[in-house]
Amino acid sequence: MTPPLRLLLLAVAAAAFASTGCPAEAPPSESSNLPESVRADYAVFAQRCSKCHSLSRPLNSGIVDDDYWAMYVARMRRQPGSGISPEDAKEILRFLHYYSLEERRKQEHKRIDDLAPVVDASAGDAQ
Amino acid sequence: MRPLSQLIVFAIVLIALFALQNASALEHNIAGSGQLDYEYVPTARNGNANAGTYNAFDGFTLEAAAKLSVDVNEHLSANVKVCVGCHGFEPDMFYFDYRFQDELDLRAGRFSPSFGSFVLRHDPANQKLTDKPLPYDMGRMLRKDVWNNGVLPAPFPSNGLEVNGTHWFGDRVQLDYAAYAITGFRNDTDAYPVDLNFIESHSPTYYISTNGRPAFGGRTAITVKMGNASDMSAGASGMYGIYDPHDRFSYLILGGDLSLRVHHTNVRMEYLVRRQEMDTDDPSLFKYAVSPQRGNFFVKQGAFAELEQPLVTDLDLVARLDGMTRNGNVLATSPLSSNAYVIRETLGLAYAFDRNFRVKTSGELWEFSGPDPTTGRTTEVSLHLGVVGTF
Repeated sequence: MTPPLRLLLLAVAAAAFASTGCPAEAPPSESSNLPESVRADYAVFAQRCSKCHSLSRPLNSGIVDDDYWAMYVARMRRQPGSGISPEDAKEILRFLHYYSLEERRKQEHKRIDDLAPVVDASAGDAQ
Repeated sequence: MRPLSQLIVFAIVLIALFALQNASALEHNIAGSGQLDYEYVPTARNGNANAGTYNAFDGFTLEAAAKLSVDVNEHLSANVKVCVGCHGFEPDMFYFDYRFQDELDLRAGRFSPSFGSFVLRHDPANQKLTDKPLPYDMGRMLRKDVWNNGVLPAPFPSNGLEVNGTHWFGDRVQLDYAAYAITGFRNDTDAYPVDLNFIESHSPTYYISTNGRPAFGGRTAITVKMGNASDMSAGASGMYGIYDPHDRFSYLILGGDLSLRVHHTNVRMEYLVRRQEMDTDDPSLFKYAVSPQRGNFFVKQGAFAELEQPLVTDLDLVARLDGMTRNGNVLATSPLSSNAYVIRETLGLAYAFDRNFRVKTSGELWEFSGPDPTTGRTTEVSLHLGVVGTF
């Protein structure tokens, strides 16, 4: 098979995948753990932000401040070909706000759990 | 600047930025990635790729990078990225962006100028295969020395200025544009330069320009959102510069790219062509008689088409077809002919064990226009197994 024919076959296969709505479309695994109210925002986040990089980049950034998220998302929105419109940015920020709250809550729980043995021991001493 | 000095400068900048952050409202973000890839070339004689396929890799290759992004305020941001790869320790980015508005941004420092769509994803963590498409290959392709890498090996950081911007027409159409003046590529080593010297262009010793003329270029692209989960981008890029210290020989690189994203399916295509002038003052250096008309340049073309499709959650399939041609005279010592080509077909899988950890594996079938002088083969097979982590 000649190289141009192979290229044509690949293009046809790609078009077939795209036009049939992706027979094996696999949503990112995180979405199943999310409440219904943020799934639409997450879908925009996952679709737009995974175009250039993995979702771990923003999710592991450690950012929990809404103002910084606004600057971060604005910087990403301006990337060439990002496909992140100003309207998309609002939905992405809504999801990141939710995600940050959850992260903060987890950190707080962890802090309390870490402190628990110390508190228990102190209580034991007092008795 | 030597690698140790660069490391010290990077550390000082980091410390200064953290100190500044404590004193003001600076926002920073540190991200990084590391990819370890093992490439095996079973068709090479004695399992030694260097013997059978001209300096191909047959062993581990590490590419690692750490990036610091700082938003000083809503107009000013800075990016510093350092890499450890085949060239050792190297600053890949060190630039400031001053954004007047979305449509007007001034970038100054060391950066990869806007060319093509691949450069935005050149970090191994942003790709599902372990190696780059051939037009952008930098040191991973079989017979890399004979071909002198790709058409425009990525990344291609250079010192300079870029003006860029983006504009949305409604909520569906995004227009991007950029124009830049940079140091550009170079070749100061060869007495009779016939091609770009990418090692020299990347070497920290050579960050200054010696030919006194900047390289110029630009890019424009349009992205159309066709729905909530699909978009299409098309772009055109160009770069022109002089690469020898005596301002005699030029290179012109043009490119076109098209990408389509439907749900989680990605289809990407790019085409690049480079017209490269050569020093033909000594015709005895060449394999073929130097034509007085149009004999002082060669044309190198490259293209790829790639399909990326999730099969199940966290498992992606990637198919890629890429290749290059080189038309024009070659040095007498080169095994290439005046019409050489290479075609590669790749099939790969990438599995994410964790949000931050992915395993990549792929098989590649190569087809060269000329035989390997050791094995006589025109086809080669290479296998990759790599892991990539991000933070």
